[in-house]
Amino acid sequence: MLGTLFRKECKQILKSMVYYIYVVVFVIFLSSQLRGDLTDHMERPLPDQENYGTVNSHEPEAVMGKTLAELVMETNRNSYATYPMGFYRGVTLNEQEMSEMISIIQNCTGKTWEALLEEMEEHFLQYDQSTIEGAMQAQSSYTVPVKSALSYQEFCENMEKVCEIIGSGSSYQKGSLEAGIGVPMTYEQAVEEFETLCEKDRVTGAVSRLFSDYAGIVLSVLPIFLGVTRCLRDKRAQVSQVVFAHEASAWEIIGSRYLANVFMAFLPVLLTAFVMQVPYQYHARTIGVTPDALAFLKYNLIWLLPEIMIVLAVSFFITELTENVISIFIQVFWAMASLMSSYTLVGGFSLKLILRWNTFGATREFWLQRQQLFLNRMFYFGLAVALILLTMAVYEKKRREGETLYGKIFKGRQ
Amino acid sequence: MEKYLRAGSSFVRRQYGPHLLLTLLFCMMSGFFLSFRNLGPDQAAKVMEMYGAFTGILLLTPLFLPEQNREIWLLKESKETPLWKLYLIRLFLAIIFLAVVITLFLQRMKQGGSQFEWKELWIGSFCEIFFLGSIGFFVSGITNQIILGYMTAVIYFMVNIGGAKYLGKFALFQMVKGTYDFIIFMFPAALLFVAGGILLREKIYGA
Repeated sequence: MLGTLFRKECKQILKSMVYYIYVVVFVIFLSSQLRGDLTDHMERPLPDQENYGTVNSHEPEAVMGKTLAELVMETNRNSYATYPMGFYRGVTLNEQEMSEMISIIQNCTGKTWEALLEEMEEHFLQYDQSTIEGAMQAQSSYTVPVKSALSYQEFCENMEKVCEIIGSGSSYQKGSLEAGIGVPMTYEQAVEEFETLCEKDRVTGAVSRLFSDYAGIVLSVLPIFLGVTRCLRDKRAQVSQVVFAHEASAWEIIGSRYLANVFMAFLPVLLTAFVMQVPYQYHARTIGVTPDALAFLKYNLIWLLPEIMIVLAVSFFITELTENVISIFIQVFWAMASLMSSYTLVGGFSLKLILRWNTFGATREFWLQRQQLFLNRMFYFGLAVALILLTMAVYEKKRREGETLYGKIFKGRQ
Repeated sequence: MEKYLRAGSSFVRRQYGPHLLLTLLFCMMSGFFLSFRNLGPDQAAKVMEMYGAFTGILLLTPLFLPEQNREIWLLKESKETPLWKLYLIRLFLAIIFLAVVITLFLQRMKQGGSQFEWKELWIGSFCEIFFLGSIGFFVSGITNQIILGYMTAVIYFMVNIGGAKYLGKFALFQMVKGTYDFIIFMFPAALLFVAGGILLREKIYGA
């Protein structure tokens, strides 16, 4: 029975315009974001290069220096980026708050505010700010050292005061400081990074990771519409009572619907990932690296499938419960909050719905954070299963009572 | 006149109420996510473009909701008042609510000591939010599927986050950059979408 219903559901999805929009938007988004030249500049680093990019560091000195640099720049602009509930919230201080902030900075650095501004200006003048590369180099190499007598503990206490002034969700919070900061890479680190990319990622792993980063953004929203459409179809076609009377159990009806939606939503993702990584398999061979032919499958199954599952499960649950489209707003909001709450575009997974790794490589750092990613996706996998079981229970209750859970009041008024 | 007032109030009571409540909730919750204090012109524009924009989708997309049920549609079509007049009443109501929401947002920012040009930001926000909502209105009108309306409008919003450069004068988030010349393109486009939505709907599904 489950197999037959599953096949029927898949056919139904193929007749839905929402599904074709899903596929078209997904493919266009991915092909516009993931350029075909990712590995063009992938070469073993040379000793005399000017710049080797950046690497994540957890060294207290580095963390304090970069954090203070950001604080000085934001204070100079009087605009602080915070993400209290995920959404960007720019904070501007009044005069009193500003003088408190300046005194915290002076306390941490042991220098006057004017001297710090002068140093900042001198630093940025050394770089050609009119080019993106120059501006990025200036930004990444700018640090403000703390005074020698200041311990890391005292520094954290000062940052807590900063958070009290500008509110929660800033990059001066404990969690953000613990995530580390990007510092310029040395030649040795760059070589090690290159070798790890070739040995562990075997090129295609890094490509698949970047694909998952972009795909994760759209997959936090697009499947919502598939789920809501499916759950409201019976009501719209006025066949709810007929389906309620069907011999199949709630487990079979909801289970087949959910599995068919997960399968159909995952299929174009898998196919697009496969097509997009094929050229990189060839490129890996040309530089003497044996590519990981199944990397796209591994990343899709671990990174993207649980995301599709949870997004669909939440939309199934809320829509079956409420029988309206409110799930769209709740979930779009959730997705936007998750997208905009990232302290960093590389890692820091915690329990975020959308996982970011918006860089080609950074393999060593990824291997360090891999466990966090597994925990995150296992959590969402488990939550998706729990929500679908709850959806089945809701459906069964509606079926027995022949009504919505709360709908009698509303129905009586019409 | 009384007939139209009755039609409007019946729509609000029976179908539009939950959507208005949701919009109200959305506005009330804004304080948790956004700062309204001491904002400059670009930051005030950001509040309207990144957050306020959703109210357009919330208010304009569900206007064809009652006729999603074909029986109700046929019943309404048999009545003396043509359907397009009912659609216009609903649209008029939605636009009033939209104007109120925009005014409330701007007033709150002004009270928080934010500095911006009231008239310029009000008109810019109205055009942009109305335009985004009109996309949802148009698509839900011609497909008679409200979900498709929401989907298109949400996708349009998301496309603007990374791909605004491809949309020219119809790109959202232009006020943040201090550009307001999109108004003369976006407002007529929004009118075209709402007019096209009603006309095409009548043409495609009319008896």
